[in-house]
Amino acid sequence: MTPPLQTTQATDGRAPSWVSARQRGQEAPKGSIPSWFYPVAATGTVVGLWWALTAVGIWSELILPSPSQVWHAFVQSVTEHDGRPGLSGYYLWEHLWASLWRIVRGVAWALVVGAPLGLALGLWRPFERFAGPIVSFLRSLPPLGYFSLLIIWFGIDDTSKVWLLFLAAFAPISLSVAAGVASTRIERINASLVLGANNAQVVRYVVLPSVVPDLITGLRVAVGFAWTTIVAAETSNGIPGIGGLAWATKKELRSDVAILCVIVIGITAVLLDYGIRQFEKKYAGWYGRW
Amino acid sequence: MTQQHDEGTVERHLGRAIAVHDVTHEYISDAGPVVALEGINVEIPGGEFTVLLGPSGCGKSTLLELIAGLRIPTSGILTIGDARIVGPSRHRGLVFQQSSSLLPWLSVEDNVALGLRINGMPKDERKKRIAEELERVHLSDFAQHRVTELSGGMQQRCQIARALAVDPEVLLLDEPFGALDALTRESLQAEIRRIWQETGRTFVFVTHSVEEAVLLGSRVLVMSPRPGRVIHDQELPFAHAREPITEVRADPTFVNQCHELRAMIGAH
Repeated sequence: MTPPLQTTQATDGRAPSWVSARQRGQEAPKGSIPSWFYPVAATGTVVGLWWALTAVGIWSELILPSPSQVWHAFVQSVTEHDGRPGLSGYYLWEHLWASLWRIVRGVAWALVVGAPLGLALGLWRPFERFAGPIVSFLRSLPPLGYFSLLIIWFGIDDTSKVWLLFLAAFAPISLSVAAGVASTRIERINASLVLGANNAQVVRYVVLPSVVPDLITGLRVAVGFAWTTIVAAETSNGIPGIGGLAWATKKELRSDVAILCVIVIGITAVLLDYGIRQFEKKYAGWYGRW
Repeated sequence: MTQQHDEGTVERHLGRAIAVHDVTHEYISDAGPVVALEGINVEIPGGEFTVLLGPSGCGKSTLLELIAGLRIPTSGILTIGDARIVGPSRHRGLVFQQSSSLLPWLSVEDNVALGLRINGMPKDERKKRIAEELERVHLSDFAQHRVTELSGGMQQRCQIARALAVDPEVLLLDEPFGALDALTRESLQAEIRRIWQETGRTFVFVTHSVEEAVLLGSRVLVMSPRPGRVIHDQELPFAHAREPITEVRADPTFVNQCHELRAMIGAH
């Protein structure tokens, strides 16, 4: 006898609403709300609320500047006025680029040192036991905790900031690569062994490509971490720099510039992450499907 | 890693016998040591299609991995010809049950090329070999595809092509069709029978399907679990058959043979 059908669950092929059309292997139904609607609506809501709050005038403009004041600050930041460029002596893009360039150097060094270190950690057990705790310790430190030390060693210029970013970024990269080595599928290693591979060939043909997705994940974490760190690190001698600009506003009570900086910092973080995700799709698209 | 290639330096002639002498193999599980194989003595003659048949847990895959050299037995020795098996070698190819043993970041042809690259075959020669092997398993039209885009049956064909590309003396197959649907499975059974008949290589094939064993094997070793032992050893008549698999399946001798083997496994 067949058991009675469970009748409490819908059996007509309708999935619960949180199951996306893509998961069900369907096209989004025609005439449905386009995907750009939601982020645009969210931004509109926030800006609208902000505008309404300032229009009512509960708080002074010094505490909560209006959207139009922030827009004005933006215009100031990209133009020359009173014979001086932008804000704090630099245009907005110069501030942003100064911060990004620090990130690029710090993370590049972190990749150069961190990825091989991660491989060594993953491939060589005694080394993992020896150096693993040190890397984990470094990873658990808030970078600003050792920033003073770096300033004492390397001065207040860019060198100490790049060192800071390097130290912040290399641990996540190393640990991610090491985890990737450890999770290399054993049947792929065995497959190369029975084809005659020696240890070096196993690493070259199986382990290195297997680790690429983990490397990119580590890079993503590292860039995110470095970005939050640099903005905070630019509080000392950080001009030009978007964090330095944000910090400098407190002296002149430029809350409009502070909000502008927050927006720029946030958008940059989202774009950086998006860029790395696109990179991941291109070079590690196979990952997760198997 | 250097000594594992020793047996390759022995002059190669097709069909050396594989011998398993007094092999016992234990491994450590969470619940303590498990005896996977106990007192195995088996001779696998060259050129035969030997099937290792038994229920799960009987150690048949472990025995295959020992022959592949991917495991070293707790005691006893394995030999091929007069060389001792001390590690993996390209002379003993392996087709895995999991198609995830293919490299998902590579195309079908690059997967087939893996062993050829490892063994340093020049590019022109490599291209020719790949084309031949893809032709043999009917994947020529899919050479450029990612292996993740293939169906389960095609992935197993790709594995077979990859293993055969380096021209191994022995092909070991570990439940290669275990994860496939019944129809795909039947077509691949016909393929592997044809490939064995064409190449005349030594095949060692692990399965838990009695029908598959009787259909493909020129010989079957029946194994029983806990601890893994060989309980029966006999020759089988259908490996050289040329008629379609469906006809073999309908043959009364085939049906009887399956029935007998199944009864014997049940009696244990």
